[in-house]
Amino acid sequence: MNTLTMAMLVTAFLLIVTGLFMLVRTNNLIRIIIAVEIVMKAITLLLILAGYINGSELLPQAFIVTVIVIEVVVAVVAAGIAIRIYRHNGDLDIRKLNRLNG
Amino acid sequence: MNETILLICLAFIVIAAIACAMFRSMLKCAVSLAVVSALLACVLYLMGATWAALFELSVCAGLVTVVFASAISLTSTSRHQPENEEEHRKRVAGLPFILIATGMMLMVVIAATGFHIEPQANAALVGLSFKDVLWNMRQADVLGQIIVILAGAFAVAILFKESDKA
Repeated sequence: MNTLTMAMLVTAFLLIVTGLFMLVRTNNLIRIIIAVEIVMKAITLLLILAGYINGSELLPQAFIVTVIVIEVVVAVVAAGIAIRIYRHNGDLDIRKLNRLNG
Repeated sequence: MNETILLICLAFIVIAAIACAMFRSMLKCAVSLAVVSALLACVLYLMGATWAALFELSVCAGLVTVVFASAISLTSTSRHQPENEEEHRKRVAGLPFILIATGMMLMVVIAATGFHIEPQANAALVGLSFKDVLWNMRQADVLGQIIVILAGAFAVAILFKESDKA
């Protein structure tokens, strides 16, 4: 395995671990959305690595564009939900989200 | 030369992601995410995925950062941050050690199992452009993207709809 392939694989795994660590260790809703975004960056990196290994970047590019569109929509909708929750509860702490009755 | 720049970019991606997790300030956290996106765009460009790099830089590093900055500003989390500096530091202190352990474990597993991947030439898509692949081969993806964008726009419209009672 060449150095670049190895480095990309390790970087992607480290990004996934960082994202999962943030997901587990934080209680702030916006930080959780940012953690999901970090994991999605790792997926983008793995897709381009797949293209590099297969010898063509064309198909992974099409997939990456799809991933980016989904990433943005998830970020926008999640940020909207976070803002609504803040207006409703006055806090973004997920431990205090125990009032889900409307 | 390209490979060296790629390796440097990959190293800085990990550093920026760690910084994103370690910063207590939400705005610094969002800016670190933008740095991760910008560096990832550099990696994509150097790997030959120029269109993906363009989208990553303009949409992820630009638009998503603006969305997060707006959300942080609207929720004013700095005033309501329940944990202090010391508490936050304790909470994220383990991350660098976990990452070092994961990296080393991954190296050991790759070395022990003899896991081997070599880049190979692909003749299937020779002569095609990104435009051909996206619009002619992945039409279902484009349709799916349109539906996802419309669903997102509809969701935001519902979320911020003025209440009838008000």
